[in-house]
Amino acid sequence: MKNSFDEKILEEASDWLKANQKVVLATVIQTWGSSPRQVGSRMIVNEKGDFSGSVSGGCVESAVVRECMGLIKDNKPCKKIEFKVSNESAWEVGLACGGEIAVYLEQVN
Amino acid sequence: MKINILKEIIEKKNSKAEFAIVTNLKDGNSEIFEKGKKLSKNFENHKDQIESFFKLKKNGVIENTEIFVETYIRPIKVIIVGAVHIAQYLVDFAKSLNFEISIIDPRGYFASEQRFPDIKIINKWPEEAFKEIETNENSALIALTHDPKIDDPALQHALNKKFYYIGALGSKKTHENRCQRLKEAGFSDDQINSIHGPIGIKLGGRSAPEIALSIIAQLVSETYNK
Repeated sequence: MKNSFDEKILEEASDWLKANQKVVLATVIQTWGSSPRQVGSRMIVNEKGDFSGSVSGGCVESAVVRECMGLIKDNKPCKKIEFKVSNESAWEVGLACGGEIAVYLEQVN
Repeated sequence: MKINILKEIIEKKNSKAEFAIVTNLKDGNSEIFEKGKKLSKNFENHKDQIESFFKLKKNGVIENTEIFVETYIRPIKVIIVGAVHIAQYLVDFAKSLNFEISIIDPRGYFASEQRFPDIKIINKWPEEAFKEIETNENSALIALTHDPKIDDPALQHALNKKFYYIGALGSKKTHENRCQRLKEAGFSDDQINSIHGPIGIKLGGRSAPEIALSIIAQLVSETYNK
């Protein structure tokens, strides 16, 4: 297998840490059905809610940011969260594509 | 994840190593796995599955466990022959892609560091330059000089080493002549037809950045075709 991308999210995480920010790494660890991003896709979130990278096509990132900020606030090391298909109500967090994903959150420290 | 693991991952990526990160999802413990490396007690019970993921370059959670494996593969070596204007845009476009670019050009005034900062430039003729780069069927060649003196030896090297992507810049006429020369040099029709010439997908643009974009698009497409 080959892949032709390198999103450099971990390198960015390292830069954030050097700037004394707290960093939570969010990684797609499982997918079911037609999910937008493959296993291993990443985003990082700091204590202010700034984020970089992605775990979906913009569908669940806001919820991931909230969860990551909660992890920092509660000083927990890690957490697994799952997202399923969203219902029709607008802005509800979920995946419009009909897929499901599991995202693993972990603090880097 | 511990900061020292993060640092180690980045170092390994920079050294173009092949490795995997294994994470215990229950407690967040993670470590780096490489071929021949002994796993710590946390993971040694899952050695066979971790090795299998590593071998298949697979990412995912090992079935019926809480162990996540993420594999890192070496970047694809892309050799550009011709430190020309298009090459500058290729380097730009490739920044967020998993390509390790080297540029070969015997003409010193083209192959300057000032034109290509942070890129490996080999200011030699291709026959000599290829002695400095290890290449195989996972390598790609982009020949941009359309000068037979420079391009042809590089194309011959790429064909002999079975590069998965070989593209050569030049008009249809230029490419016909090139094919004829390769035929005379003893290459088969199948080998010659594997060369993408004229290079790039049909985008319509004729400027240097547009041609570079069409080449990168073809290279990515061929990367996943294999």
